[in-house]
Amino acid sequence: MKEVMLDCYGEACPVPLVKSQNKIKELEVGDVLIVQIDHSCAMKNVPEWARKEGYNVEVEEVDDGEWEVIIEKTK
Amino acid sequence: MEQKKEKFFDRMKSNEYYIRWGKNPFTYVTAAVLLSLFQIITLATTKSPWGVSGAFATWGAWIFEAFGGSVDKWYYFASPGAQATLEGGILNHPDSWRNFGVIFGALAATLLASGFKIKKIKSKKQIFAAAIGGLLMGYGARLSFGCNIGALYGGIASLSLSGWVFAIGMFAGAVVGSKLLVKYFMT
Repeated sequence: MKEVMLDCYGEACPVPLVKSQNKIKELEVGDVLIVQIDHSCAMKNVPEWARKEGYNVEVEEVDDGEWEVIIEKTK
Repeated sequence: MEQKKEKFFDRMKSNEYYIRWGKNPFTYVTAAVLLSLFQIITLATTKSPWGVSGAFATWGAWIFEAFGGSVDKWYYFASPGAQATLEGGILNHPDSWRNFGVIFGALAATLLASGFKIKKIKSKKQIFAAAIGGLLMGYGARLSFGCNIGALYGGIASLSLSGWVFAIGMFAGAVVGSKLLVKYFMT
């Protein structure tokens, strides 16, 4: 199990979502993808997509206007 | 004194109502209902449907006039209505006030959620994409006499067929645009 950081700071929608979708394809089941975002609409659509895929998702506010979306690839 | 203040904001951070109203984004349904209510209010009070990008053209005309230019002969501003708007000035221009409201409202919302951040520009690509995208959107919105608000939202809300035609064009454009974005911008 490994952890992969995906730096999406400064990227507007839908770039963080598309990058997350591409990145998770490269990962193995059980790996964790941490998407760093500072665009509040990505805070909505990235977790929404990941939950729909059935992954475990957690959103953490790391600073003012900065979030980490933690996605565990469960399948 | 300082300590007391900190305690107040610490308490507020975990307050259930603050989290619900100030911190968490509204659901799409809540936002849609609020938007509908406010566009009815704006139609009732200003007698014109909600629009955003039209005001930018008017701002451009005012800036041009401030530098000594004249737009009287331009087709877009030639109508008596457009001339009256230009004469009236920014303080009597409802569209401008609405746009100020959108900007300050967005600022207030992000401050309230303590989500304000000045974002770094990551690459030159972003600058070009923003500038070209802005120009195309602004120019396109004037050619079609409205943007996704004035032509689409306002059009459909006032039961005009043009709103639906705009919707078809915009949807097709968004599909093509997203494909181009993924192909050329993301690599």
